[in-house]
Amino acid sequence: MNMKYALFVSIILGALLFLDISCKNDTPEAGKTTGHISFGFIHLVDGLPLEKDIMKYINAAVNTYEINQVMYFISDVTLHKSDGTTKLISDWTDIHYVDIDIPSTLTWDVYDDIDTGVYDSISFVFGITKEKNQSFRFVNPPEVNMMWPDILGGGYHYMMINGSWKDNENVIKSYAFHMGIGQLYKSNVIEVDSIYAFVQNYFSVKLPSSAFSVEENKTRNIEIIMNIDSWFKTPHIYDHTYWGGAIMQNQPAMQMAKENGFDVFTVGKIE
Amino acid sequence: MKKKIYLFISCFLLLVAGIRAQHLSDTIVLEGVEITDTLIKRIPFVSSQVSKELMQSVQTRDVGDYLRSIPNVAGIRKGGGAIDPVVRGFKFSQLNVVMDGGMKIENGCPNRMDPVSAHVEVEELSQINVVKGPFLLNYGPALGGVINLQTEDPHPYAKFEIHGNAMFGYETNWDGAKEYFSLYGGNSKVYFRASGGYRKYGNYSSGKADGETTTYNTSFTKYNYGVKAGWTINAKQSILAAYSESHGRDVLFPALTMDEKSDDTRMMSLDYSAKNITEVIKTLDVKVYRTNVNHLMDNSKRETWQAKQMVADVDAINTGGKAILGMKVKNHNLSAGLDFENIYKDGVRTMTMLMMGTTSTKRFNLWNKALIQNAGLFAGYNAAYGKYTVEAAVRLDLNKADSEDTLILIKNGIEYFNNPASQFINFSGNMGLTREITEKLSVSLAVARGTRSPNMLERYIKLLSVGYDSYDYLGNPQLKPETNNEVDLTLKYSDEKLGSMYVNGFYSYVKDYISAIMLPSSVIMPATIGAPGVKQFVNVDNATFTGFELGYTSPQAYKLGVNVIAAITYGRIPEVTKYIITAGQVTGDIIIKNDALPEIPPFETTLSVNYRFLHGKLVPKFSYRLVAAQNHVSEAFYEPETPGFSILNFSVAYKMNKNIDINAGVNNIFDVSYYEHLNRKIIGSTEKLYEPGRVFFVNLNLSI
Repeated sequence: MNMKYALFVSIILGALLFLDISCKNDTPEAGKTTGHISFGFIHLVDGLPLEKDIMKYINAAVNTYEINQVMYFISDVTLHKSDGTTKLISDWTDIHYVDIDIPSTLTWDVYDDIDTGVYDSISFVFGITKEKNQSFRFVNPPEVNMMWPDILGGGYHYMMINGSWKDNENVIKSYAFHMGIGQLYKSNVIEVDSIYAFVQNYFSVKLPSSAFSVEENKTRNIEIIMNIDSWFKTPHIYDHTYWGGAIMQNQPAMQMAKENGFDVFTVGKIE
Repeated sequence: MKKKIYLFISCFLLLVAGIRAQHLSDTIVLEGVEITDTLIKRIPFVSSQVSKELMQSVQTRDVGDYLRSIPNVAGIRKGGGAIDPVVRGFKFSQLNVVMDGGMKIENGCPNRMDPVSAHVEVEELSQINVVKGPFLLNYGPALGGVINLQTEDPHPYAKFEIHGNAMFGYETNWDGAKEYFSLYGGNSKVYFRASGGYRKYGNYSSGKADGETTTYNTSFTKYNYGVKAGWTINAKQSILAAYSESHGRDVLFPALTMDEKSDDTRMMSLDYSAKNITEVIKTLDVKVYRTNVNHLMDNSKRETWQAKQMVADVDAINTGGKAILGMKVKNHNLSAGLDFENIYKDGVRTMTMLMMGTTSTKRFNLWNKALIQNAGLFAGYNAAYGKYTVEAAVRLDLNKADSEDTLILIKNGIEYFNNPASQFINFSGNMGLTREITEKLSVSLAVARGTRSPNMLERYIKLLSVGYDSYDYLGNPQLKPETNNEVDLTLKYSDEKLGSMYVNGFYSYVKDYISAIMLPSSVIMPATIGAPGVKQFVNVDNATFTGFELGYTSPQAYKLGVNVIAAITYGRIPEVTKYIITAGQVTGDIIIKNDALPEIPPFETTLSVNYRFLHGKLVPKFSYRLVAAQNHVSEAFYEPETPGFSILNFSVAYKMNKNIDINAGVNNIFDVSYYEHLNRKIIGSTEKLYEPGRVFFVNLNLSI
């Protein structure tokens, strides 16, 4: 019986030996306090909420126009403090897609924990930087529909504003005010075979009057406004009739849009 | 539904009451499972043996489908076939699935369209052996269990003979037809077996729900052929050479992002056996093998093909061997051996997007000349000491892996993918004791530790939807091995008049459990159409599995046969991160305590009743399967609950004479609309892939 007992004891001891159950060492959180921010995207024309699909707007070039679609990317949103420190929004995502026809894209509940305190301003990249704007980065709708053809530089559109305008003869024509990677052509003939260089047209935006504060465990809601009419004025007057409908292969037109973009974005309510 | 349950319970009680005392056979037959008396009494863990006769008696389309009839074995369905086995909640590489006692196949498909069990047809098998838990260590590292698929071997004859078999089968619902032929024979020195099969199935429809059925794109065509030749060198030594191929064409998987365009698998092996070598060394078995899988899949049969084309082409080669010595010293049985496995895998995915009148094409590496090598030493011991039987085994593995991947993914100092090389030394061992309390009753306690290194997928896969959700998955070259520490307690009872039963309870504590976490989109974006994000394989501290199973079978000598099986597994993870997803965006995370592990099958039980007419020539059988709802689901993985269901099957086997037997019947008699908890979701929806509705079937077996 002793031997049998010893065998059973051996089994039990073996079980304990195999079961190398260990206790998890929980690392306490660092002692800093954080809150959250959420961006809401507002689209205005001439200071009023966008009313799409209505031929009611007149730009600085006196084009009567309507807007049907607005889609764009902003990326690398950075929060600036007065002491020079910054917080780059990138813990989960660093590129946000906005589409006026998809309500869920009009709000961005930022994943990142934001240190509490006062922030001086907000900046971001309009479009996507060269490093990140690679073809096949997005394979699913809606972002994939922003694809920019490889032969024109690849990656994705920074922005699409689609609509129509009345030309000088009151003929309604469609425009595709699209921004993305531009091309330089060897000749005046716009053929893909004559492309000799590409131009990155993304640009940085520093939102004026965008100071805000973050309180512990609270969410600060910040409205980012795109003043669509500003794409067509200051410093350059953009004339649809002059530039024509599509500008994907028209770097001078995209360059003008890029230079007009400096004051397109402002901040709305901060709550 | 309740009326049906009451009706069958009543029948069951009446049938049990009618059982008369007869002699107990030395073999116990459970539903689809045969467990020998020796195994019942002596082995301290649960080992299920399935014979060819049992496999022939039920309608199956593939091995994985059949395995689901074994207690606590479930399967993951993604299409019409290729059901991936899950044993006690352990799956994929947590199970060691081998062929012919050691030949391994590296699945070509990262989505596991072709688990090992999909490379062999049921008709080819002579036996299936399922060992639950890390107890069988001479087939390679084992964590959750071992499934050995033993194909038919030729054998010598006293004088030259030649025989043949033919099988024809048909089933309704998906217009499925299968044929299988074999020719075997030889003499005392040279013997052979040649065989081949073909099966073509259409799309199946679910059972009726509110008068409506759903038809799924599940059609497939498969064919296979092979030859084995043996040579008896002398009375003590023999050699067996085998070569076979299995092929799949247009195998559709509505629950995956792509379908199998083609799968071409070649398997070859050479076995040497010697017996009674010395007084101590009783056997020597040596095996070398090579398996080669070429797997091509695409989305050409999906609507998305017009705008977004995906094609993946993978080569997987597994080369290995083993040698094992069997020894006996007095009443001590010992075994010792070594094995080696070299896995090579390489594959690319080509994506083509057609948009705005232009075409963009990109090639992604799924694997880039990835290599895993595993060498193991193992030993086993068993002996009987009076009423006690001791069984023990140990195993030591050296596991090395590398890849020519050039992907480097580092952000904020965190290395997500870098430095693909890794090396581990793993120890596994087990020990069990069986005590015969009475002649009829025994109790066994077994403890085990099984360690397995991460597989090709977990280490190196790059951005493909290979999990149970639709996320793209990224491998992790720095994963650690996971270790299952398990305790099994088994009670066995065998009585000539009452029948036999066993009850088993187990507890598994899996250290460094391999799971997956979401990666930020700022780190990596999905590459598969429809994937909402990327997950990466990681080790989590631990996970536990608890469960039990029981089986009862009436004495086989009775004309009336009754079988009951029941099983449940409960999987739990102590702490896991749940990502909060709002309107498609990840907006935060929370820690979930004591969450359920995903993909754990619910409680289920099956009652089978048969009656042997005409001295067993005519055997009708009813089988009633009752599956509980699965409400213990993973919150962190957003796993949906699954409703319970019950189905009734009927079959009749008729052995006309020694040359002809017929098996016919109907599965899912009441055309119930149901799905198993492990069935995957239809791509592009939240709907699960349902099981087939009512199916009438007939199989004709001819032999000469």
